[in-house]
Formats: sequence, C-alpha cells, structure tokens
Amino acid sequence: MTEKYDEIVARVSDTLVEAGSTFREDKKDAYRRAIAGERNEQAKWVLDTILANAEAAETNRSPLCDDTGIPHLLLEVGEDCAVTGRLLDAIRAGVAEGLRRLPGRPMGIMGDDHQRIDQSGGLDPDPAGVEPAPILLRRCKENVIRLHILMFGGGPAIRGKTYRVFHKHSTQVVLDEIVSWATESVAQLGCSPCTLAVGVGRSHFEAASLMLQAQADGRYDVQSAMEKEITDRVNAANIGPLGLHGDTSVLATFLKVGPQRASGVRIVCMRPACCFEPRIATVEL
Amino acid sequence: MIQLTTPISEAAAAALQVGDTVEISGWILCGRDAVLPKVLRMIEDGNAQALGVDLRGQVIFHTAVSPAGVGPTSSNKLEIESSIAPLSAAGIKLHLGKGALRPETIEALDRCNAVYAVIPPVTALLGAKTAETRVVAFPELGMEALHLIKVDRYPAIIGAAHGRSIYD
Repeated sequence: MTEKYDEIVARVSDTLVEAGSTFREDKKDAYRRAIAGERNEQAKWVLDTILANAEAAETNRSPLCDDTGIPHLLLEVGEDCAVTGRLLDAIRAGVAEGLRRLPGRPMGIMGDDHQRIDQSGGLDPDPAGVEPAPILLRRCKENVIRLHILMFGGGPAIRGKTYRVFHKHSTQVVLDEIVSWATESVAQLGCSPCTLAVGVGRSHFEAASLMLQAQADGRYDVQSAMEKEITDRVNAANIGPLGLHGDTSVLATFLKVGPQRASGVRIVCMRPACCFEPRIATVEL
Repeated sequence: MIQLTTPISEAAAAALQVGDTVEISGWILCGRDAVLPKVLRMIEDGNAQALGVDLRGQVIFHTAVSPAGVGPTSSNKLEIESSIAPLSAAGIKLHLGKGALRPETIEALDRCNAVYAVIPPVTALLGAKTAETRVVAFPELGMEALHLIKVDRYPAIIGAAHGRSIYD
C-alpha cells in the first residue's frame, strides 16, 4: 500500500512540474501558426519570445511564468475504479512535492480569516503552502483514474467574469455577450494572446466547473463553429500580443455548454487564460 | 535595439520613443502591490534615503522576486499604477511591467521625463539574464519585498513616452 501511495505521489509531482513548465504540442503548433500569420512585427517578436520561453522552460523543467499559479485538479474516474481518502491524500502530497520541485512561487497567505483577506498574516515561505483548489470529479469512459492538473495564474482571475446573461432565446445573444466580455478583458489582461475558456451552465458553480473542464478537453486544432466565431471576433479588435496590437489576441476558444434550465437566463463563466495557459498536464494513476 | 544601463540619464530617457525596442542592463529595483505604497509613504515622509538606494535614474520592475523567478504583473493594478507618478517625481526613469496605463499616468510620466516599458512575461528566459538578487527593504513581505536584481539585457518595448501610448 505504501509503495502504491509513494508511486502516486511521485506521478502527481511529476505531472505538476510538467503542467507548470510545458506547452502541449497542439499549443506549440498554434503559436507557430500565429507567428506565420502575424503581420505586426512587434506582435511577431512577442509571439517568438513566448514560444522561445516555452522551449527554455520545457528544457529546464522550470516555470513558464513567475506566477506559477494555483493548482486546480480534475479527477476522472472509470467504471470499476475507486477513489479513496488515501488516494486523495496521495494526490495532495504529490501536489505539495511538485510545488517544491517546480518551484512554485511561495505565495500562500498565512493566518486567520481576517489575516488571509488583508494579507497581514504574512506569506508562507514554503511553495507547498499554496493549497490546491477543491478537486472536481467526473466520470470517464476508460476504466482508469485520470488526473488533470491545471495551474491558474492571477491575471486571468482578475479579468475573468461569471455572470448571468438573458439569452432572449437566441444563442447569438449569449455569444455576443461572451465576445464583449472577452474583448474588454483581453485588452486589460496584458498577457495575451489568450485562450478563452468558457463554461455555460445553470449556476455560478456549474459554469465555473465547465470553464475548467473546457480547458482540460479543449484542443487548438479542433474548434467548433461557436468557438471559432468567438476567437475571430475578438481577434478583429486588434488587441494583439501583450496588447501591443496585431492579429493574434486569442489563439483559440475552449467552450463547454452544460445542461440548461427552462429559464430566460444562462450563467456564463469566461476566463481569458493568459499566453501560457492552460498550463495543464495529465496522468493516469 | 537600444541598450539602456542603469542609472538612466535624463538624455537617454528623453530619447526614448513609443515602440522602441530596448535591452536593459544593470541593477534594477523590483516591487509591486504590497511594497510600493510603503515606499511612497517613505518618500512622503522625507525618509527615502533610508532605503539605501538612489532612486534617480533607476528602473522599477513590477514583479515579485521568488525562487520561481521574475515576471511582470499588471502595471494597471491600483496600487502599482498609482505609484508611477510619485516615483517618477522621485527620480525613477523607467517603469517596467505590462498592460495599458491611464492617460493621466502617461501625462505624469511625460512631466517627469520618465517612460513605461512593456516586458514579455518570459520567466524562463529572464532567469538566464538575472545574475543576483537582494532585498532592499521590507523583508517581511517575502517575495513582495523591495528587491534589487542585477540583469543583463532584459528585452522590452517602450509602451509610453512623451505623452503617447503604444496601446492607443
């Protein structure tokens, strides 16, 4: 049992380091396409620099960005697989070990409720003091336990938005609102090109969880008509990489639409994931 | 590519134009949300010399300094952007960060012959260009303390100068 526990800790730790230091291949290809198509020289320089940074981070197994992010975990469970408290403990221990190895930025705030809000309790010097967000769990078709680790930076959290949209029985109304939010937030973010992660659900919790799942499931080389429309319309705003203008404000949109209620309202969660996000890696445990 | 070495002279700052690409070398200051208001209070109290750093001609990089490296945070966050005008008046010549600034901040930069430069958030590349780091003040803030770091050819684009902004 201890041997299995230690193995899971090691795998989770490796996966967190990979999430914080590595672009997936489809993302590298998306950057290469953007560089080839970019007409603004400053924008092209920024895109080249971001891709070079990704290659250096992957080689060094070092952070892509100094805001190494808050670990967000999506656990997929197959038909005959069991999730035990011990497994969750091993995952948590693996996250802590991975944060120390990456190394994660030591930005966990110490203290009681009051102190954690106003930051008067000081910072935990241990990178593992950054606790992961609550685990999201879902079923998967394969008979495995699969863990996705995503590292969420602070900038997209500032610029993201979860709110109700009165859809007026038109999908276009909802898309227009997403484009409006995204255009404003990408311009303010300062770390574009973005990948827009969007969840549409029945509650704020559900919309946010769909937004997270969209980042786990989305691919740069497979885009739906709605995703492509959102991307193209935000790119037409000429915000560009780092907001310096250009053709590439958004690399892609990852949209996940959940079940909906009989109502005039849809709850939309939109996160303008920064130029390094989704910082994600996946492992079977 | 324009080479800038700290301390930056009045003439070198005046020559910078929006869109110029620059490389910055030398010792530069690092600070962000938590520490910049504390530095401003020291300046307002006439106590800036207690920092032990001559602010004239200096660069301030809006970043934390941690084992994870350095990288720009958004310069338009309230406590950071509101530091730009008074720090420029105190002698800072270049504010290094990311994100669009408000028109009144850009005007304040111009009045002080100071500029704002945008640096890509490329922590892995910047790590190879960062030689030394040391805490200057407020060590209790950890990674958000006021730091000095020695850098070699940090790449940046001039984002605001002479009342103009690259974001316009």
